[in-house]
Amino acid sequence: MATDADETLRREIAGLLAGGLETEVFPRAEDSAQVNAIVSRLQSEGKDLASKLVIAGFTDHTITADELEQPCETCMYYLIKRRFCDLPELMLPVEPEWSCRLWRI
Amino acid sequence: MANLLWLQGGACSGNTMSFLNAEEPSACDLVTDFGINVLWHPSLGLELGENVKVMMEKCLSGEIPLDIFVFEGSVINAPNGTGEWNRFCGRPMKDWVADLSAKAQFVVAIGDCATWGGIPATAPNPSESEGLQFLKRAKGGALGEGFTSQAGLPVINIPGCPAHPDWVTQILVAVATGRAGDLTLDEFHRPKTFFSSFTQTGCTRNMHFAYKVSTTAFGQRKGCLYYDLGCRGPMTHSPCNRILWNRVSSKTRAGMPCLGCTEPEFPFFDLAPGTVFKTQTVMGVPKDLPLGVDRTGYVKLTAAAKGAAPAWAEEDIFVV
Repeated sequence: MATDADETLRREIAGLLAGGLETEVFPRAEDSAQVNAIVSRLQSEGKDLASKLVIAGFTDHTITADELEQPCETCMYYLIKRRFCDLPELMLPVEPEWSCRLWRI
Repeated sequence: MANLLWLQGGACSGNTMSFLNAEEPSACDLVTDFGINVLWHPSLGLELGENVKVMMEKCLSGEIPLDIFVFEGSVINAPNGTGEWNRFCGRPMKDWVADLSAKAQFVVAIGDCATWGGIPATAPNPSESEGLQFLKRAKGGALGEGFTSQAGLPVINIPGCPAHPDWVTQILVAVATGRAGDLTLDEFHRPKTFFSSFTQTGCTRNMHFAYKVSTTAFGQRKGCLYYDLGCRGPMTHSPCNRILWNRVSSKTRAGMPCLGCTEPEFPFFDLAPGTVFKTQTVMGVPKDLPLGVDRTGYVKLTAAAKGAAPAWAEEDIFVV
């Protein structure tokens, strides 16, 4: 379930994204090899919040790729009730309309 | 009384170990209750050396009727098609297999290696391994596509790595008691009674599959293993969640993704790095979708199911 800490962190992320944090939105993870490469980078370089957002390519709006909308809302890692990304390398509160390049269904 | 001969080719003995753990019926029940006479088995046979060879020659001459020939392990053809890498009783095993299969009333292939080559036949297949009537999905194998045993059936394939012990003993009982005619086989010669449903059928994680909640790491009780951890349960024909292992559990119930070991392509993706225990995707969509589901339908279903997921689906829940 959503917590106050989630809400605080979600606001911080929203602020970073709205403030112009440049994230690696493209290229999207086209295949599993690219997914694994990004996840590996998250494991080795994603030490703080900003680097996680950058490497995963977070946006505060939905990205469409290969004719598919890729919102957090439909992603396998998204916990709807908590509004939370459950990917072990991220584990971040998010908003349903946000997006990242590790999106998968 | 039905005479049974069991030989091993390119095998790890895993199917023998599985067979010896059978419970319904057990390996002993086959002998005491169902009239199966085990002529020889690598782990159970009393004969050694020349005596085994003499016994097999008697099978070939017809002096000993060979009712059921069971083969475990791949048929090894290396080097250069000679089969010399796997000699048994003075000649290549592949020659024994060909000759004994021609004499047997029924031929039963146990495990992936004997059915379609299995792990030994994975590229680059240095042992030139193949199954009795298949090499992966391709028909043919060591005995050829048109082979039928004396009783008129093709090789009865009981795949798995290993095959479940009760699949083995129940099929042997059916054959030994004259009920082979009741067996219907699928396109890969698997008995339909076991291999029509999916590994997912009966999986205790089905509710997480339905609501599209993923297991994201090993050991989690919540979530479906298909979405992230490479589980092949929705695409694999097996009764692993109907006929439980050790009568207790299954891979998926214990949190272990199904590897699809009853399908001809096993091991999938030739075990390339990054393909084991990881769902392969194309632009975020699984490369292998549940059988019969198309990409568009899958995307629509996912969005709807995800939106309808109840809170409990996202929480730890006991599924074993």
